Amino acid sequence: MTDRHLLATFDYEEDLLAATDEVRHQGYRIVDAYTPYAVHGLDRAMGLRPSRLTWVCFLCGLTGALVALWFQHWTAATSWPLDVGGKPWNSLPSDVPVTFEMMVLLAGFGSVFALLGVSRLYPGKHARTPSIRVTNDQFVLVLDEAGSDFNLPSLVKLLEKHHVQNIEERLSADQASCCE
Amino acid sequence: MNSPPHPPRQALPTHGTTLTPQAFRTLQAMALGGLLVLVLGWFYSPLRIWSNLLVVAYYLVTLALGGALFLALTYVTGAGWHVAFRRIPEAMASLVPKTGIAILVVLALRMNQYGWQLHAGAPEGTDAGTYWFKQLWLDPPFWMARAAIYVLLWSVLALSLVAFSRRQDRLNPQELPRAIGSMKWSVRLSALFLVVYSITFSLASVDWIMALEPMWFSTMWGVYQFAGMIQATLAAIVIVGLLLRRPGRLLYGIFRTDHLHDLGKLLLGFSCFWMYIWFSQFMLIWYTNIPEETSYYIARMHGPWGPVVLVSVLLNWIIPFFVLLPKPCKRSEHVMMKVAVVVLIGRWVDLTVMVFPSTVGKLPVLGIWEISGACCMIGIFGLLFFKALTKSAPAPKNDPYYGESLSYHCS
Repeated sequence: MTDRHLLATFDYEEDLLAATDEVRHQGYRIVDAYTPYAVHGLDRAMGLRPSRLTWVCFLCGLTGALVALWFQHWTAATSWPLDVGGKPWNSLPSDVPVTFEMMVLLAGFGSVFALLGVSRLYPGKHARTPSIRVTNDQFVLVLDEAGSDFNLPSLVKLLEKHHVQNIEERLSADQASCCE
Repeated sequence: MNSPPHPPRQALPTHGTTLTPQAFRTLQAMALGGLLVLVLGWFYSPLRIWSNLLVVAYYLVTLALGGALFLALTYVTGAGWHVAFRRIPEAMASLVPKTGIAILVVLALRMNQYGWQLHAGAPEGTDAGTYWFKQLWLDPPFWMARAAIYVLLWSVLALSLVAFSRRQDRLNPQELPRAIGSMKWSVRLSALFLVVYSITFSLASVDWIMALEPMWFSTMWGVYQFAGMIQATLAAIVIVGLLLRRPGRLLYGIFRTDHLHDLGKLLLGFSCFWMYIWFSQFMLIWYTNIPEETSYYIARMHGPWGPVVLVSVLLNWIIPFFVLLPKPCKRSEHVMMKVAVVVLIGRWVDLTVMVFPSTVGKLPVLGIWEISGACCMIGIFGLLFFKALTKSAPAPKNDPYYGESLSYHCS
């Protein structure tokens, strides 16, 4: 990891996808890609690992369901047995709606807050974008200039093959400077 | 997850095969053998055979209608993902008239099964306020005429949806802009179908299944039937899609892993929906505990039918839900095939639990008659379906969304 980043700007989603795929296969390190909207297949082109958010969601849902089941059983059958219409105290069907809702609630909140935490997002956070136009009509691929095989001329040639519009070198600390 | 690469559009085979000759002969043997055993069985126990025939015919007509429902839902939501394999639900929808006639014949065989208890007068303790209406509503001529009207409406609408789609195939390249115009009519027709379907199918399921116990009622019956129907339809689409995408087959290179993934998501969702609706119906009745409402569940959950009910929950929800949760499972041919088969068996168990305790009685039965019924159903559906599939081009190539359906990424 160096502190020097290379920013390649594209006009079209297809160019960005093809360039990302080829750059990765040539062994260059991809820092990030900025797009105005979610580009399908970009995660595959960047070689990102499958999201672990599904596991967070599943475990939160499981926790919610178990806590709700235990709590209802404790309140209605153990601590203060409730007689509802002569039914047994530990009637499972009556626990199902609350269990379901608690499962959905914890799974939903867990996923959202895990996502916010992992991406370090919070209300009022300043946007870190390399250029204001990535929120409108431009696609930017950020590469790390690390590694002994980093070869600028051949990289530029490769990017030009994919119709790169602009290539720019920045210190990583300055990456978001344009928008601040 | 990389989907296997599909051949480019121009390389698509236009005349792939559907099934091997052996598979066709097996289906024929299943259909004829099953039907023969059932006909012979009529002399042994008409009621049990008739119950099997009702399950078979109702299963078939809801699968066919489910194809039309899938088409209508995708048209009105402006979906494009399914277009490449749209001929599968279309072939299912084109079976609505034939399966509709089948259920009409089955219903006519034992018209008196419905509401015969009503002729003896209101049983003690029942609500006299609704009794006169039930007597009127389940009056055999009116009841049969209604069934015919349902089938007629479904047939006209389903066949029109299929015909509109096939009309696109005959357009010349320079006429392609007209394909968009014909789609507008498909959308309007679909909206009409959905309104007609939701009313008539609720009534039909009440008339044909719930009325087996005329004094019992559930206001959730219609949506419960819808849930089972759409779940089984999705499973059937998955199975035939996977069969037809093998090399050399009709949908090779057309039915993609992304389609499988999306169908898997829908199957997972509607399995949960089925459980949700099943439990909602059960819990309302369990909680209020009114004798005229609990009779249905007492017959099914207190006694030998209890384990069968648990099996239906296992097959329709527990297995599909936990197996299909991870993404790789929804993209795996083997897993999806097995889960779809499990769901279709679960649908059969579910229908058996609805019908048999009201007709055959307190003991669950699984003998040669039930197995013949299931074989007969698979055989008839397979033969009719694959025949209907070859009546048009394998894919709606002129549809404006065809390209999108062949290239979209699902993640």
